[in-house]
Amino acid sequence: MKALGIDVGSLTTKVAVLDGDGTLRFTVTPSGDDPESSAKAALAKHLGQPELNPGNNLYLVSTGIGSRLLRFSQQQKAITTCLARGVHFLFPSARTAIDIGAETCNVIRVNERGRINDWVSHDKCAAGTGVFLQKMAKIMQMTLEEMSEISFHANSGPEITSTCAVFAESEVISHVHRDPPTPKEEIAAGIYSSVVSRVMTLCKRIGIEKDVAVVGGVALNRGLVNILEREIGFKVLVPDSPQIAAAVGAAVVARDNIEKMAGK
Amino acid sequence: MIDITEKKERIESIIRACRIMQRMNKARPDARESEIIYYDMLSNYFTRLQNARDEGKFVAGHTVFFPAEILYAMDIVPMHTETTTWMISLFTGECADLLSAGTALGLASEICTPHRGLAGAFAAGALPRPDVMLWSNLICDNTAKSGELLMEINHCPGFFLDHPFQHSEDERKYLIGELDSMIRFLEEQSGQKMDWERLAEIIACMDRQIELFREICELRKAVPSPFHTQGFLELLTIDYLFPGQPEAIHYLETLRQELADKVERGVGAVSSERFRLMSFFIPPMYLIGFLERISQEYGAVSVTEPFFTYWGEGRLDPNRPLESVAEKSYMIPEVRMYGPLDDRALKSIVGCVEQYKVDGAIYYADVGCRHTCATVKLFKDILNDMDVPMLTLDCDVVDPTFTSEEEMRKKLEQFFELLEDR
Repeated sequence: MKALGIDVGSLTTKVAVLDGDGTLRFTVTPSGDDPESSAKAALAKHLGQPELNPGNNLYLVSTGIGSRLLRFSQQQKAITTCLARGVHFLFPSARTAIDIGAETCNVIRVNERGRINDWVSHDKCAAGTGVFLQKMAKIMQMTLEEMSEISFHANSGPEITSTCAVFAESEVISHVHRDPPTPKEEIAAGIYSSVVSRVMTLCKRIGIEKDVAVVGGVALNRGLVNILEREIGFKVLVPDSPQIAAAVGAAVVARDNIEKMAGK
Repeated sequence: MIDITEKKERIESIIRACRIMQRMNKARPDARESEIIYYDMLSNYFTRLQNARDEGKFVAGHTVFFPAEILYAMDIVPMHTETTTWMISLFTGECADLLSAGTALGLASEICTPHRGLAGAFAAGALPRPDVMLWSNLICDNTAKSGELLMEINHCPGFFLDHPFQHSEDERKYLIGELDSMIRFLEEQSGQKMDWERLAEIIACMDRQIELFREICELRKAVPSPFHTQGFLELLTIDYLFPGQPEAIHYLETLRQELADKVERGVGAVSSERFRLMSFFIPPMYLIGFLERISQEYGAVSVTEPFFTYWGEGRLDPNRPLESVAEKSYMIPEVRMYGPLDDRALKSIVGCVEQYKVDGAIYYADVGCRHTCATVKLFKDILNDMDVPMLTLDCDVVDPTFTSEEEMRKKLEQFFELLEDR
């Protein structure tokens, strides 16, 4: 029986499959207007699962902002539970997980069994999230990847507010248009520092314990991770595909349920 | 200039809502007798307030934690301003209007909504105009300033009761002096004399009330806990509106008996108790129905509220009525949060976790209340040391635009999963 985890995020839907032998496969697809169809299509195309019916040798756990839209899932779990399990699966030594997604940011203290000891979320403002970075890259007229790369060349960065995405946007625009303009690499570093400052506020609320894993789509941004490491003071763990951590966690929950049903 | 006209229909709407609740409860076969009594009491409280002017009664508006025992003893009609405002807000859906009216007075949006709404309610004429305003600094500094503004809005005289932070002999004497001055002020303003015998009776009744509060708390230690999850709000209202009143004794004795019966039969407040919770501060009033439903859904029940229902030690002495009024103000659960936070607050948390077998805690962090929110980290650390997770829910006690039901559900579900996974 296959353990299937689906994380329906605001921008992308992530699907992870844990085969009976522990092999992990995954795919990422835009969520679109109909996450259920997107998820089914992704599975059919990339994972060879033409039929998604409970009992069809599958156990499916869904999570994420749109998980309730997946009527075919057998169980829905909170994103924080899945992140903790996913991070534990990917990095068993991790005791703190920082998840920066498109619209939210979570910091989770994970115990040695992959359970949550504590967590804190930031979900009141886009400041400190992926959509904020997308918006900033647009203002800078570059891709996220380009913004990430140039930030490594900055010696310092301007102070940019971390409390409000709208105010931050105004500040960045003024840096771009001032005479002479603030060097772009410095603006990029300032933007990342602003996001990191937001994340660090959350970290301080529940404390940081080593190892620290950074997951979520924003963890793909090397420039941001670089500044985060500088702020934390040590290297963090980043999986190759950090955006799938919650889907992996959901698949782990599914696997555990399969084992329970089998009486293991 | 803001029009200050009394609008009886606002109070009438509370009375009407209470009567509807009463009728609904009477029609429900499983309704608690205590709940029927509760709504009857509320209905009577507001009817008395509504009729006060016509009956030539003297009305005193007073803020929270004010010793209303003195008003009852002087035959003055009390108007608990916060409770009355929020009942208007809840039953008429006028919360946004009241807050806007407060903002129109020049109160910044960062000022705590209960106080902004309270000023707005008076300015908008949603509350009857009192003959005097009474307020104190117990338990927050906002209240200390709020009273002055309310007095100004109502163009009425007022009295500020200065309650000392500490509980030494000197400070107790000072507080008794303050109470004495307030009585003289009320006698002058109302032309009514303090009835000391009546006050002694009220103190005896209040002493019994406190005993009953304690007995109810004891019953809530049972597994499963018999008292429904938001029931503590009823206990608060009883203390706020009916201190030392015979009907409060009737309510509390009925409730105690109901809970004792449930404990004996092993029946809990939720059909299958899974999580025993400690609650800090007041949940958003507009989400009470939702919180009750999700509690049932997940088998979660609030079993203790250290700063709302966990009364301090001590007895009241009817032979020393004024001293007892002062003493009571040091026994109320909320006072542990008053002034410099000391060991009492922290010890009560530790004690409650152990005695009530608490699995997790929920801190309703009212964003406008700096006084309470300053303790979030401190309480969380103490609970973490005891391996009790705490969920902090940023919210506003009355403003529905701050936190939605969906957001609250998401966070609570995450928290219940955390507790389940442990």
